[in-house]
Amino acid sequence: MAQKKLVNGVVFDESKVAIPGVTVVQKGTSTGTITDAKGQFSIQVTGKDASLIFSFVGYESKTVSVGDNATFEIKLKESNVELTDVVVVGYGSQKKSSLTGSISSIKGKDLTLLPVQQVSQALQGRSSGVMVLNTSGAPGSDAIIRIRGMNSVNGGNAALIVIDGLQGGTLNSLNPNDIESIEILKDASATAIYGSRGANGVILITTKKGKKGKPMINYDLIIGNQTLRHKIDLMNAGDYARSMNKYRATQDGAGTPPPVFTDGQIVAFDKNGGTDWQNEIFRNAPIQNHQLTVSGATDNVDYLVSGGFVDQQGILINSLYKRYSLRTNLGTEITKKIHFDLYYFGSIENGNVQLVGASMTPFIGGPLSQSLSSALVFYPTLPPYDSNGKYSAAMPGVGPSSSWNPLASAKEPQIANSTVQNNVNANLDFKILKGLTLRITGGAFIRNIKNKSYYNGNTMEGQASALGVGIATYESVLSFNLQNSNILTYDRLFGSKHHLVATVVGEQQYGRNESLSLTASRFAVDLTGANDLGGASQLNSKSSNASERVLNSYLGRVNYTYDDKYLATFSYRGDGSSVFGANNKWGYFPSMSVAWRLSQESFIKELKLFSDLKLRASIGITGNQGIAPYQTLANMVSGANYPYNGRANTDIGFQIANVANPNLKWESTKQTDIGLDFGVYNGRLTLSADYYNKTTSDLLLSKVIPLYTGFTSMLSNVGSIENKGFELALGGDPFVGKFSWNSNFVISFNKNKVLDLGDVTELDFVGSLGGMDIGSGFMQLRVGRSFGEMYGYGFKGIWKTSEAAQAAAYGQLPGTIRWNDANNDGKIDANDIIPIGNSQPKFIFGWNNRFAYGNFDLSVFIQGTQGNQVFNESRIVAESQYAGTSTRLLDSWTPTHENTNVPGYINGSTWNSHPELVSTISLGGDAQRSQRWVEDASYVRVKNITLGYTLPSNLLEKYGISRVKVYGSATNMFTITKYTGYDPEVSSFNDNDAQIGIDLGTYPTAKTITFGINLTF
Amino acid sequence: MKNNIRKIVGYLLIIPITFVLSCKKLDVPPISSVTSSNFGQSATQIEAAYTASMNFLWGRYYGYADVIFYVFQNDDQWQGGNLVIPANNGDLLWQMHYQALTNINNALLAIKQGRVQGETPQTIAALTGEGKLLRAHNYFNLVRLFGDVPLITEDTPDPANNLMARSSVKDVYTLIVSDLQYAADNLPDSWSNAPGKPTSGTAKSLLAKAYLTMATYPLNDPNYYQKAADAANSVINSGTYALTDSCVNVFKPENKYSREMIWSYNSTYDDRTSSARSWAPSEWLTGGWDGAPVDTAFEHHWTAQPRKDAYLLLGLNGQPYTTAFVTATPYVKKFFYYITESDFNKNQCATNLPIIRYADVLLIYAEAANQANGGPTQAACDAINLVINRANGYVPNAGHPLLTTRMSKQNFDNAVIQERNWELCFEQPDRWFDICRKRILDKVSAPYPQELANYSPNDYLFPIPQADLKTDKLLTQNPGYPTP
Repeated sequence: MAQKKLVNGVVFDESKVAIPGVTVVQKGTSTGTITDAKGQFSIQVTGKDASLIFSFVGYESKTVSVGDNATFEIKLKESNVELTDVVVVGYGSQKKSSLTGSISSIKGKDLTLLPVQQVSQALQGRSSGVMVLNTSGAPGSDAIIRIRGMNSVNGGNAALIVIDGLQGGTLNSLNPNDIESIEILKDASATAIYGSRGANGVILITTKKGKKGKPMINYDLIIGNQTLRHKIDLMNAGDYARSMNKYRATQDGAGTPPPVFTDGQIVAFDKNGGTDWQNEIFRNAPIQNHQLTVSGATDNVDYLVSGGFVDQQGILINSLYKRYSLRTNLGTEITKKIHFDLYYFGSIENGNVQLVGASMTPFIGGPLSQSLSSALVFYPTLPPYDSNGKYSAAMPGVGPSSSWNPLASAKEPQIANSTVQNNVNANLDFKILKGLTLRITGGAFIRNIKNKSYYNGNTMEGQASALGVGIATYESVLSFNLQNSNILTYDRLFGSKHHLVATVVGEQQYGRNESLSLTASRFAVDLTGANDLGGASQLNSKSSNASERVLNSYLGRVNYTYDDKYLATFSYRGDGSSVFGANNKWGYFPSMSVAWRLSQESFIKELKLFSDLKLRASIGITGNQGIAPYQTLANMVSGANYPYNGRANTDIGFQIANVANPNLKWESTKQTDIGLDFGVYNGRLTLSADYYNKTTSDLLLSKVIPLYTGFTSMLSNVGSIENKGFELALGGDPFVGKFSWNSNFVISFNKNKVLDLGDVTELDFVGSLGGMDIGSGFMQLRVGRSFGEMYGYGFKGIWKTSEAAQAAAYGQLPGTIRWNDANNDGKIDANDIIPIGNSQPKFIFGWNNRFAYGNFDLSVFIQGTQGNQVFNESRIVAESQYAGTSTRLLDSWTPTHENTNVPGYINGSTWNSHPELVSTISLGGDAQRSQRWVEDASYVRVKNITLGYTLPSNLLEKYGISRVKVYGSATNMFTITKYTGYDPEVSSFNDNDAQIGIDLGTYPTAKTITFGINLTF
Repeated sequence: MKNNIRKIVGYLLIIPITFVLSCKKLDVPPISSVTSSNFGQSATQIEAAYTASMNFLWGRYYGYADVIFYVFQNDDQWQGGNLVIPANNGDLLWQMHYQALTNINNALLAIKQGRVQGETPQTIAALTGEGKLLRAHNYFNLVRLFGDVPLITEDTPDPANNLMARSSVKDVYTLIVSDLQYAADNLPDSWSNAPGKPTSGTAKSLLAKAYLTMATYPLNDPNYYQKAADAANSVINSGTYALTDSCVNVFKPENKYSREMIWSYNSTYDDRTSSARSWAPSEWLTGGWDGAPVDTAFEHHWTAQPRKDAYLLLGLNGQPYTTAFVTATPYVKKFFYYITESDFNKNQCATNLPIIRYADVLLIYAEAANQANGGPTQAACDAINLVINRANGYVPNAGHPLLTTRMSKQNFDNAVIQERNWELCFEQPDRWFDICRKRILDKVSAPYPQELANYSPNDYLFPIPQADLKTDKLLTQNPGYPTP
């Protein structure tokens, strides 16, 4: 006869708060109950030696033997969620505690704290070792993401994006709300599994799936307003007119010239202030973002359907971005052993931001035809429209006379850019045996881009001529990537101590890219533009292109864990790619890593200090495909035309464009990493630190070959670059309980060095568009130095009157620029060009804080960089004397005001009176590559502050709403920086990473205030 | 158990099956571009390659349209020149000829491999002949400019990966001769509706010139004089070519494909030559660029004759060049004077630069026959007298008399060379090559003692480009020039 006893009690958590819903089970029986709303329970136990097991999600289970007691007070400890967290790795997932590589993990719910529209913006400052550079503030613009520095010169440095296992995606089209987690793979052990595409790091995106429980309907609404964050300080009309007159007065070499503006005009300008062109082209821009998600799961089916709509106007007039997106993630258990998932995502993005900065193609008139650059230099003395109602034109002979009305340049171009993205992914999972699973996946990314533009008669590019008006462009790109992966995984615990996970994969990928581009001009009618190219009388350019690529891969990985203490991982991948040269079609990428979980060792456990302590080390080789399709072949191109037949029209010629290089192969990165993870105070303080050393060799660079081959160079694998760095991620919960504070800090240091460039010691990169007096090679890569180096003339201020004799030695007067005579030879010429700045930061950091008190929560996110410089090219014309608008000109040197860095106005007649001065300065067309324009662009920015309030649940129960949160958010509100341009986070020239760091006519950043509401049904 | 195993095997088979069935090959051929290994499948494509090869030699502001303005300064026709030849003097010429050769060799390889479809053997032979003629033309210039040069044909293994040494002048000429002979045998006498294409007459004329050059420096093999004479004679006897009636008409735009022009660098209005303004003085119409001032000593030595006025601009508006032009030198009329005023002012002209013309062939015959015979033959005199007579406007000119068989071999030879100097003036690089093969650089520099002080026999060859000497250690530099 079994003894029966009634046992009751209450279950608390560590802060003495009762926990309802805790499962209480008698060990070894099926007798059980759950605690009620007050945490109380009552259960009949049978037999002697009964024990009760208390378990609840998020807490460590507790087993208590009943003995003679009948009442219990049970305290449950929150389980260290961090360590049992599952982290997605390439081709599988692992518990965080058993990771041997360097991987950062960001939960989706942390992403949506920030009201962002693009996934790339959400990544900024969240992971150590990841740099996110927002090169432009334009709505819908993409950011540059670099993981652990820049490895390649010509092969591309973008990380591989993997979305639900499909490789080669783009971040921009995704809806941040759909993301369950993002894992960033950084070291060789984590990335070598992606072989010839892993060298730049890998970003794994996992999207949400429906969760068991009652169906959830989630609606999010964000509405807000964006304004220009920082306005450039420009002169008003009166000061500008005086300044122009002052400049005109200096042109007195042949007698005093008449002033540009009369005194009467200046009085009127002082009264009405003139035109503030920045006010004309910038505006307050609204933004709204709607998300609706329906998700849930039954026993056999899980589903998630989400739709989103973003409507973001831009702070520059006539610019906007809209995105419509739909996702359906479905999963079903076909049988107990077969599971099927189908993911579909579609989005349409429409934007109309015009080409700005260095992406202005040659047909566009350059900086002065484009509104963002010309607004900084256009005449404040001119009204936006002249007396005839037409846009004011530049004043001939005064100032920037070849520039165009900024309002017209902003308002008149008709631009329609649209991208349609379709991502489809299907998985079939088979549980073959215990521990043996097979997953067969098939997926496709299909991307359709159509960009049209029409510059009508009111723009500089399309202004009317005798032959017609307007210029239109039409560009269309179709690209698709197909992938099939077959993943066999064996996961088995041998005995109690040997845990082995082995993964073998066979994979094939196919990509195809087709593009068409047309430019036509001289339309008879100034209306239809790119929608009726037949109306153009001239076809300026036409081109079309199609290419394919194939990648076949075999890979395997073995994870071995002994006693949960000693971990080792070995991976190997072979990639056969169609883009590699005929002699090097297959590349092999191994990696190996080990880790020691000291926290599981008894001597550490005795310390009762560490909840987690792990040492890890890894080494491996990854690759960067970098080669364009067909680049290893000797391609024929048309264009070498010549009248071979001697007829009236010329004959088409086809020439060999490049030398074939059948030996061409991938760039190869060898990386070693050592890391330490620890957690103390039961996980309330965690730290993860890594030191890494990467060398990328076999860089794709031009190798010089003899001219008798018919070519000057051949693309070859020569050259190497090194990146060394240190990353730190600190996490903590300084406060828990009613008031809680969770804080995360990441900081990354990276040192980059070019080791070898093959035959040359330097490579030159463009840093300017024509007409700015900056010759080629402003940005250079030199052996022994890093990316981002700027080369020019040093600036040592302005010659003072007391230094007249020194100035005279160079043929200069006090008040002129004192150049740095770097080699001290008494001349200023090309031999004095030295490094004048560097756009690489010494370190970057991000600091995330979340405070919660009752139903309120406040999050504060701070990020910044230190030690990087930007070349503020916009200042060149804005601070020139002949066309300057900057208020700095009011601070120019005079004999009584010598403490300034702005040169003085010196009359031609003054020069004429010093015939003894012979200039030793020959800067040629390079006078503006000056250190004067190099500025410190370090910054600390309170990127986001969000204050939210979650309504008490009892208020809403009767409406069927389970949760309502309202919040207000401010983005980019506070920035501390010495940079005087629109934003220290900027880059106008981005075709090559070596060009990053120049500010010329880029779209400024906005500061945004938004309100949001979050409803869960 | 068996069931299980079958299930497992069944599942596992799915992997290789899905893989192999849909596996795409790694050798993906390009779909929007052609590569050199599958180009050349029709006659049109082959000729497109030949067209490109000529494009490298002649275009607006590059190729022979540009290079001649500064690398041949040391002859006696251009004003200036100091016989200090810089190390980069030959760089552009070397590069452009080898660019042309790469494309010609690739086309010849395509024909050799039988890639050309749908053409008769005759057409294929003619196509090959065109390619060989173009190749010979390039090597003929290279060997005369640089001496020993790397010899690359369609059979040469990939030069980008196999460094080459310089082949001897003799070997280069062997290729030139065999290529031109093939062309002479296989090219038609004329092409319908293609006056600018090379013909068998072109091949024979170039062959004659090649033989003549082989008979003089540096090979100095007198056996070739007879061959040169025979080749030139076959061109003369073919009846295809004839001299234009008057010197004034030779370079008129409407005559650019006249019976005198055997082969030229062609231009059209949509593929213009370099500007006529490069040739004209700044005082001419809306202004030239003073790019081609004529050496005054050259002008002084030119005896009076109608041809002189037809080829040289000796003054303007009644003023002689010493006062009419700011440079105080004459200018050569050939490439700017005869075009329309509107073309000049709009900076567009489509004049050709003759590579070889009938007058040249007559003079080659005269020189070769004289040398082969140990003295001028009647035929030799007849040939050169056609040129002299035209130059004199078909009237006797005591200052520029017709030649007779009574002259000595040496005097006749000197007269031929002088006739070439005048007739072919500024049709570069003819004069430079004559100076080199006759070894008269010191003689023609005599009027300028300062220039002569810099003379050395090394000046007859241009320097090999420094870039190639650096990348290919098998190459040697010509004597007297620096090595990197």
